Amino acid sequence: MLTRINIGPIHPSTHGVLHLVVDLDGDTIDNIEPHIGFLHRGVEKLVETRMYMQSPPYMEKIDYVAPMSVDEAYVAAVEAALGIEVNERAQYARMILLELQRLASHLFFIGALTNDVGQMFTGFMWGFRDRELILRLLEEATGQRMFYVNMRLGGLANDFPKDFKEHVLDTMNYLSGRLKNYESFLEKNPIFMQRMKGVGVLTKEDAIAFGVTGHVLRASGVPYDVRNNNPYYFYRKLNFREQTLSHGDNFARYRIKIMEMRESIRIIRESFEDMPEGDATGQMVKLRSPPVKNKTVTVSREAPRGEVMMYLVAGDQKPYRLSMRTPTFINLHVLNHIAKGNRLADLYSILGSLDVVMADVDR
Amino acid sequence: MKVEREELGRNIERAKSSGYDYLIKITAVDYIDNVTVIYFFRNLAEGKDATFEVELQPSDLWLVTIEPLFPAADWYERELQEMFGVIIRGRKAERLLLEKWDGKAYPLRKSFEWGKEYTSG
Amino acid sequence: MLIGSINAAEAFIQAGINSTSVPIAMLFILLYAVLVSILMSVYAYVFGWVERKVIAKIQYRHGPTYVGKYGILQNLADFIKLITKEVRYPENADSILMPLSLVALVSVVVFIILILPLTPSLLATNMGLGLLLVFVILDFSPLLLFITGFASGNKFGELGAQRSVLMLISYSIPLTIVVGTVALAAHGFNIAGVISAQSSIPFILLMPVGFIVFFIAMLAELERSPFDLREADSELIAGWLTDVSGPYYALALMLDYTRMFMGSLLISILFLSGWYGPVFPPLVWLLIKAFIVSLFIILIRTAVVRMRIDKILRMGWIYLLPLSLLNLLITFMLFR
Repeated sequence: MLTRINIGPIHPSTHGVLHLVVDLDGDTIDNIEPHIGFLHRGVEKLVETRMYMQSPPYMEKIDYVAPMSVDEAYVAAVEAALGIEVNERAQYARMILLELQRLASHLFFIGALTNDVGQMFTGFMWGFRDRELILRLLEEATGQRMFYVNMRLGGLANDFPKDFKEHVLDTMNYLSGRLKNYESFLEKNPIFMQRMKGVGVLTKEDAIAFGVTGHVLRASGVPYDVRNNNPYYFYRKLNFREQTLSHGDNFARYRIKIMEMRESIRIIRESFEDMPEGDATGQMVKLRSPPVKNKTVTVSREAPRGEVMMYLVAGDQKPYRLSMRTPTFINLHVLNHIAKGNRLADLYSILGSLDVVMADVDR
Repeated sequence: MKVEREELGRNIERAKSSGYDYLIKITAVDYIDNVTVIYFFRNLAEGKDATFEVELQPSDLWLVTIEPLFPAADWYERELQEMFGVIIRGRKAERLLLEKWDGKAYPLRKSFEWGKEYTSG
Repeated sequence: MLIGSINAAEAFIQAGINSTSVPIAMLFILLYAVLVSILMSVYAYVFGWVERKVIAKIQYRHGPTYVGKYGILQNLADFIKLITKEVRYPENADSILMPLSLVALVSVVVFIILILPLTPSLLATNMGLGLLLVFVILDFSPLLLFITGFASGNKFGELGAQRSVLMLISYSIPLTIVVGTVALAAHGFNIAGVISAQSSIPFILLMPVGFIVFFIAMLAELERSPFDLREADSELIAGWLTDVSGPYYALALMLDYTRMFMGSLLISILFLSGWYGPVFPPLVWLLIKAFIVSLFIILIRTAVVRMRIDKILRMGWIYLLPLSLLNLLITFMLFR
């Protein structure tokens, strides 16, 4: 006999307002139906009524854990539509900020994941504490702790402050030491490994068929990272490799995040070395002469949760249509497939390892 | 690549067999005189993208589901139904995914009126 | 001076309990029960604060700071808040059974602590089968948990309740076998006898395997991490406590710490030679040992993640049961 339980929309580990209708056969999951849309704000429609550069504050609220990543993708799409060049220093500066944002988001992921597998907030607090250091750096660079709205056409709102480089590199040194702590704290814990290894397996074929992105795709053995396969800015010039594992289970998804954090630290260090002197601030763009009407651009970016794709149809003063592909919308879709047949307790660790942000799912 | 509605299924099958087996996104744009539905595919091994654009007349909005070929299409097709009123044939009746106006309003169509109250149904 | 007066009081109460007149004996047992309850509440209160502070330190937080010096009054504030809250029952809940079984759970704990000898000179009872009685009563508590969870009419509560019964099945057996082994080593089920048998060497050194089995099973019994499946904060919201509200929730929180006190006392009595120790009086030694055991339990809580129910059952049957039997075999050879 099946028991139907309703998990959420208010629940400690649904990562926001997600409502899962779960059919249980004893303690085994028979079927999950995610009810989404609680945070649907119609951003795609809203953007059509705003001038191009009035939209970034909305974009930042798409993925509130990594606001800058979506914002940057939107601004890059507008730049591509209007044909605006970004100077070299600004490109490096954006890369550094994006990688800092990725670190913050991944630390958030580790914290939330340890909570989901039933750790009494120790991992959670560690993750959030280290994330706070990154947020402090971002605050130093942009003036805001969470919603930065720092991207401008052709650059940033303001260039890096003095001593920013030293502060970032200090934090990176500290963080690369901390990553070892996380690894030994979690991976030497047999119960954690028991909860993560071999749970929620997504095979390579299914990963492609379900169209998952980001760490979920790479954990299943598909070496696709937009930064590497379809590079933007200077990712190709750097000594950067996408991180791939083949098991496709919870542990692989967690492990990818740790490996990516190492890569991000390296990218930041190298970017600071290569970054030229100059001015990274953006320009004022006059839209008196409208861009080519109905010109369509497609811009892909590797956000912390996966690939963000912006499909922009340019209008005169406002976007005619903006369609976003947000990564967790499609990563959440695979939940039913991989959690089916697992125990109820594993549902939360699988959901945690998919790293969903509900605002990102619902847009 | 622009294709006709009738040839879409065949084209997608051919694309899938030639390596474009990763569905990125299905979306649509309302150009008032037609609604263009766009399918984005990717060849992961070569890193190439391919798009199929289908122009539909606003009076005759329907497509055939590609979910059997691409499980990823599931939620995108449901979104398309709710946001543009494009009827996807071959799908069983489902709960609404994101919106609450069933058949009353299609928010991403240009005919959607701001400020008008659409009752949920 | 202080110790002298405590000894005099102990002797006085003991004399009252041993009195041949039934009403007087009843009165003194009641007095003893009140004193023990006060001790238990104070321990639960202080330990609740210590737990919050210690965990906060490990997690780079401050813990409670505002109410009282170092936040010592925070738990009192929480308690007052909870008992002034409205009691609500969900539609399907059994509004009599649910609070009743919670009160019964508390009384089980108080009853066990009353049976345990806290000092050598003051025993509420010195029955020969005391140890057996303790564990017979202890096995009631998962059933009462089950009743609470089931009566709450909430599916999360029911799931938590089912898990508690599943764990009862797999953990009671190794636990009981170890208790039997301890009784074998102490030549009897008398609890005071078990402690005095450890006057020279505590049982933890004699049967380390038994201690480990007992400790793990006790953690499961006390629903402490990594076996906190009945509550399972991030899975089942609050498990069997999901729909327990207001003062009854305060009761359940207090129950958590009193049960920990009980568990720590049992571990210190059975394996850590109870009240034996230099300088301090017996009661203080017992409390120190219990405190250290409790501290160890919460340190485990900060470091581990929750186990899955099937893995726990597997561990119970595949590792703990054979280990407890092995321990019985070794002890039998030694104490034959």
